Amino acid sequence: MNGLKELCTYRELIAVLAWKNIAVRYKQAYLGIAWAVLKPVTLMLIFTLVKSFVGIDSGDIPYPILTFAALMPWTFFQESASEGVNSVVGNTALIKKIYFPREIFPLTSVVTKLVELGINFLILAGLMAWYGMMPSVQFLWVPVIIAYTVLASLAVAFAGAAINVYYRDVGQALPVLLSLLMYASPVIYPLQLVKDKLLIQQAAGDWSGLLYTLYTLNPLAGIIDAFQSVVLRGQAPDVGAMVPGAMLVAVLLPLSYLYFKRAESYFADVI
Amino acid sequence: MPIIEVEHLTKEYRLGALQSLKQTMLNAGARLIGRAAPERPLFKALDDVSFTIEQGEVVGIIGHNGAGKSTLLKMLARISTPTRGSVKVNGRIAPLIEVGAGFVPDFTGRENVYLNGAILGMSKREIDRKFDEIVDFAEMAEFIDTPVKRYSSGMQVKLAFSVATSVESEILIVDEVLAVGDLAFQRKCFDRMENLIKRQGRTVLIVSHNIRQIERMCNRVLLLDHGTIKVDGNAKLVCNVFFEQSDVTIIAQQDKGKASNALTTGEADLLDLNFTDPTGQTIDTIEYNAPANIRFKIRAHREIRNPIFFIGFHTTDFIYLTASITPGSLRKKTLSEGTHEFSMRIDNFPLLPGAYATRLSIDVEEPIKNIFYADNLCHFRVTSSNLQRSSPECQGGFFSLEAHWSHQHLLQEPVDARHLQSPLPLPQT
Repeated sequence: MNGLKELCTYRELIAVLAWKNIAVRYKQAYLGIAWAVLKPVTLMLIFTLVKSFVGIDSGDIPYPILTFAALMPWTFFQESASEGVNSVVGNTALIKKIYFPREIFPLTSVVTKLVELGINFLILAGLMAWYGMMPSVQFLWVPVIIAYTVLASLAVAFAGAAINVYYRDVGQALPVLLSLLMYASPVIYPLQLVKDKLLIQQAAGDWSGLLYTLYTLNPLAGIIDAFQSVVLRGQAPDVGAMVPGAMLVAVLLPLSYLYFKRAESYFADVI
Repeated sequence: MPIIEVEHLTKEYRLGALQSLKQTMLNAGARLIGRAAPERPLFKALDDVSFTIEQGEVVGIIGHNGAGKSTLLKMLARISTPTRGSVKVNGRIAPLIEVGAGFVPDFTGRENVYLNGAILGMSKREIDRKFDEIVDFAEMAEFIDTPVKRYSSGMQVKLAFSVATSVESEILIVDEVLAVGDLAFQRKCFDRMENLIKRQGRTVLIVSHNIRQIERMCNRVLLLDHGTIKVDGNAKLVCNVFFEQSDVTIIAQQDKGKASNALTTGEADLLDLNFTDPTGQTIDTIEYNAPANIRFKIRAHREIRNPIFFIGFHTTDFIYLTASITPGSLRKKTLSEGTHEFSMRIDNFPLLPGAYATRLSIDVEEPIKNIFYADNLCHFRVTSSNLQRSSPECQGGFFSLEAHWSHQHLLQEPVDARHLQSPLPLPQT
């Protein structure tokens, strides 16, 4: 609680630092902040191309927009987690010179990525207009889903950032682990395919239910599916697919934060 | 209530590199099964330090490299946590530790003012209000919309100093930042610091190696040595203890009479330069106001016609004090190839107690050129049986000023007297 109150007094600093992150990145680039959409758009095009060879059933939603709607929360999670992990080490000069609560650094990374996520909504709106889709009232779920994604990425970022101060291996390994996680998340394929295979066809026999729970333990499985549902299908989120992941985040986030707070007083000595 | 309370503060660092993950795991395993794991040796940067600072005090922290000055500041600024003991600070701290740490080269001066201000804890509204004053003080109005990467380093520091001193805080921490910019700006920084200290009554902590500056600005000084407070008290007193200490180390470090940094054309070399006592023995301590002898040996590698010798003294921080040139009677000589010995006698050695060094230069007249120059030679101490270094006579400078004073009570006040009055109240020390 005390920490939250302190954070409140530093919210202006978070805003300024996030503005700095964004401005620095695009300052001397001609296309400026348009680069923020480059990654999801490129991946969407590649996946669409791949899909034309292998055939993925995207239901009644056009595949490009379905995969773009998956890439938005995914890219947001991936980048805020990995930038959050590197945020403390990347600000060595500040850490060694001046005090403010250190969790400001991971938080700033997430806020920075929120802004870029916002820009991707413009592309999404364009795609929806192109395919003639109208947002439904379910769209109101979006802030909740994004808030949940923020918590999930912070669970990784806090502990990761603290360990990264001691062992830089984390910063190196995380991008690799995260790109593996992408294939374990319904980004290229919709969650419906996994549901069909495991819950309806019981493809793994008695283990099917357990495997499905394991699959949905990845918070991104629930997040991506929910995002697609509320934005594209006009349906409420599939709560069943979100529960295991949410429980994992509820356990990991406090542990991760406590570890960060315990380690932070030594950052200036070790970094 | 004291504004800063430090009790039994100890900070230990582990020496050596961070261990590999494997070693850490093995050690953790060893501890788990109750066996002692090999520990890296500890280094005590601060060892059981206690002091309190009252509101409005200006405290200097001095000491040799590695004495723990910066570590102490880091603890006070909450950047690092104590291993043992406690630090209580009742007020907002503005650290001026290496100003400009948060500057982003790609940003304009204006953007950096806002960024750095926010990092130092100012709100946007506060910066808006002070913006013009910050830019004016830094003399940057013309360049404020230019990216900082195009600034000279002096311009960057000026802007950073200006932002940092605008923070409204009860406590200001200054770590070697006054040596910024050109002389005119240094003067301005100095005035601004004095203004913060004397007019606004802020509590200030200054770390510096410029002892003369500390002596002038502070009313209390802590002398740190190997992590402990050696002396804590009146600025003049503590600075003198420190000077004495430094004198001893500087002299101990010197290779006496060796001209390691000599500039020579190869025509002559200095073999030896020493102070000698009446019996001809080499000495390195000279009595103030007593006779002193200097003897030096030169090797001429070829014939040198009409040489002019020049011997001078300077302080250990290279302030040239005085010199003597060989008189005309010695100039019309020709030094043949080989070794020559000269000596010079000073009847009443004029330098006040302290540590000094010697410089020697040799010129020839036709054509006029310098054939040998070396300074930082033959470090020596001046002592006095009836003058302490801390006594008022020695505070005035490096020489005693022989003067005759008189006093007379005027019945009518001269008209000009008001011009002599100082416009400012004198600082209280």
